[in-house]
Amino acid sequence: MSAELLVESVSKAFPGVQALDKVNLALHGGTVHALLGENGAGKSTLIKIITGVYRADAGNLKTNGEERFFDSPIEATHAGIAVVHQERNLIAEFSVEENITLHNPPLRLGIIDRTERTRLANEALTTLGFEIDLNERIKNLSVAQMQLVEIAKALVTKAQIILLDEPTASITAGETVKLFEVISRLKSQGTAILFVSHKLEEVYEICDTVTVLRDGVSVLESKPLANYKQSEIVDLMVGRHLADRKVVIRKVDRQVNAVLELKNLKTSLGHESVSLSLYPGEVLGMYGLVGAGRSELARSILGLHEITGGEILLGGKSVKIKSFRDALHVHRIGYVTENRKEEGLFLDFSVRKNVSVTILSKILQKLGIIHVGKEDVVASKYVDRLGIKVVDNDQLAGTLSGGNQQKVSVSKWLAAETKILIIDEPTVGVDVRTKASFHELITELADEGLSIILISSDLAEIIAISDRILVMRDYELVGEVENTKDYPSISRSIMSSIHSGS
Amino acid sequence: MTELSLTIIFIVGFLALVSTSQGVLLSRASLQGFLTYLAVPIVIGMAQMVVLCIGQMNLAVGAMGGVSTAIMATQMADHKVSIPVALLVGFLGATAMGAINGALVVLTQLNGFIITLGTMTILLGVQYRLVRTFTIDKYPTSLPDFGKKNIVGFPLILVIAIATSVVLSMYFSRTGSGRRVLATGGNALAARLSGVSNSRSVFIAHTLSGALVGVAAIITIASLPGINRSIGGDWMLSSFSAPIIGGVLMAGGTVAVYGTVIAAGVIRLVDIARAQYSLDPSIVSLTVGVVVLSTVALSEWRRRRTVRQNEGRKVLPA
Repeated sequence: MSAELLVESVSKAFPGVQALDKVNLALHGGTVHALLGENGAGKSTLIKIITGVYRADAGNLKTNGEERFFDSPIEATHAGIAVVHQERNLIAEFSVEENITLHNPPLRLGIIDRTERTRLANEALTTLGFEIDLNERIKNLSVAQMQLVEIAKALVTKAQIILLDEPTASITAGETVKLFEVISRLKSQGTAILFVSHKLEEVYEICDTVTVLRDGVSVLESKPLANYKQSEIVDLMVGRHLADRKVVIRKVDRQVNAVLELKNLKTSLGHESVSLSLYPGEVLGMYGLVGAGRSELARSILGLHEITGGEILLGGKSVKIKSFRDALHVHRIGYVTENRKEEGLFLDFSVRKNVSVTILSKILQKLGIIHVGKEDVVASKYVDRLGIKVVDNDQLAGTLSGGNQQKVSVSKWLAAETKILIIDEPTVGVDVRTKASFHELITELADEGLSIILISSDLAEIIAISDRILVMRDYELVGEVENTKDYPSISRSIMSSIHSGS
Repeated sequence: MTELSLTIIFIVGFLALVSTSQGVLLSRASLQGFLTYLAVPIVIGMAQMVVLCIGQMNLAVGAMGGVSTAIMATQMADHKVSIPVALLVGFLGATAMGAINGALVVLTQLNGFIITLGTMTILLGVQYRLVRTFTIDKYPTSLPDFGKKNIVGFPLILVIAIATSVVLSMYFSRTGSGRRVLATGGNALAARLSGVSNSRSVFIAHTLSGALVGVAAIITIASLPGINRSIGGDWMLSSFSAPIIGGVLMAGGTVAVYGTVIAAGVIRLVDIARAQYSLDPSIVSLTVGVVVLSTVALSEWRRRRTVRQNEGRKVLPA
């Protein structure tokens, strides 16, 4: 019997967000099935439900005729499902070989059979046409190599159902070709493959059927891909909601001095020569695929990584920014991180304490004692302005929903009253309404004179609120577009700068 | 939550001891003993707590205390230094030891565990050099007398310990500096991105730990007839029990001053119970050990439950 995986009417809610709403998907042996959708559409949630990481609220999952959800990833593995996650799950201190056979090491008399282990790992790697020392430790590998090890790890389980979550995001074109050969071979052997990717060209090259998710709903369910044009798929992914938005073209005066200027900036992370200017009250969008080097640029400017060449000018003066502390207190630049949970919030702190952490030195009385009254006024100001849903300002940040957490993280930077704010992926994983309110807020702040660099991988978002759009690819700025907010033409010119010359 | 249950345990335990001992515990002498020997556990518990709150440990608490009391005693006995000056020098010495720990952690970027393991060993050597195998007690009796003073019925040294906790509690809840230290402990990366200097926080926490050890050293020398090389020997492990039972997370980011104080009280009750019922001393170690383990297990279980409940709030990148 060939492999089969049926997702039937699966729903999953997280507080404040309906992540999946009655989603259907039919994955059959011998086919490659594309799962498409924008960031936050629910693709990873669906994969996590299939593999037993999350529990669905409702619906059914049928694997090879058996109807049940898995309670843990191990159960899913035993049922013949292998997954290559977007975020890599390798053990840095273990060797390539140990990682590939991690889930199911070959045993003889209860002891790991090293000869057999080497053979298995070798076999998987040869299938991929990927040559590497089996004894090398994972921590010494490049990101692309790790990705390939991750794929080999899935191959070695001889799984009948393989889920690939953005497998090509960080590997080269040559490695992608080899991966596709492997996928074709597996397909001819009857394996069922789910393929998640943002690269539509690849999807058309390798996939047979397609499911499109938008805001947690399967708007296209398991249809033959050949019946749809690429533009139709894109329309399904982004939806029509974009058209309703009222279009405002803001006037930004670029005759005055730039507030921030980069001249041939070179960083230790791999930016060779980045030049850009940000004008007062401007929203400068920075678009690119994940891993294009945008956040890395922002963090380098703010002193987290080393600047190895070029110049940063603030108000026309060349400056050296030593740390985030320096950036905040001396140069008045803020950075709203994309990883709010890991980097943006103190989950055990109250909302009040989270908001005030950037302005502690401004609300002190004698002996360094915090003026709680003032602190509370500031917190309330931003709780009101951003419409953060809290019981009171003493509620712990960890107990808020994702959207509200993001608002708290942003509030902290608004409270600091910086002159420049770099906002990194502000709306990933927040619901549509919160997203809209963020967009309004960003425009309002710019109207008030704040200069903003908006980093986003959401094309619709970039086009909706930027005044000007820069496109970054492989740590290089490859395009600049004056935003007329005409979605079709702007998206086309952005996409052409992303794809040209690659 | 932890603090409330500890308070109840303390009160119930105390009343149980009072009733089963036919009120002996309430006699002036026993009560005095109970309260006097509560002072040091409270202060060293806090010395450990301030380092735990940045997610590190201070293994040198006992050795620092030993050296600090040794400095005070030898200053007075061998160099005829006046009491206040000797105490001040010892206190500053302990603070400096903490500052050195902090500076080493910041400079080497190694964990406090390793650094303080190293300084502990060095300081033990220093302590033996200073004290040798003698008992130093050739100093004015006005010091032990001072240690026996009472303020409205409470031992003065316990009052010092409580006052220190109140100040420390204020420091963490109300000052900008205390807030930043907690921010570092709670989420170092977020703190850094918010413009907090983590190095400064680490340095402050270790220095503060040293200063608190200094206070504990003053209390010790004032409440003992003499100083020998065993001082501080049993501080290190007991410094962990009070804050951990009191609700301080090993992961950092939290303090529980009242919890630490009341937990020290509970541990002290176990000690009294042993004396009262002539139990084997091992029973105290056993009980405290079991309580520490179960507290840690319980708080870990609670943390996981919170994480599970918040799982839904976890924002998923697509």
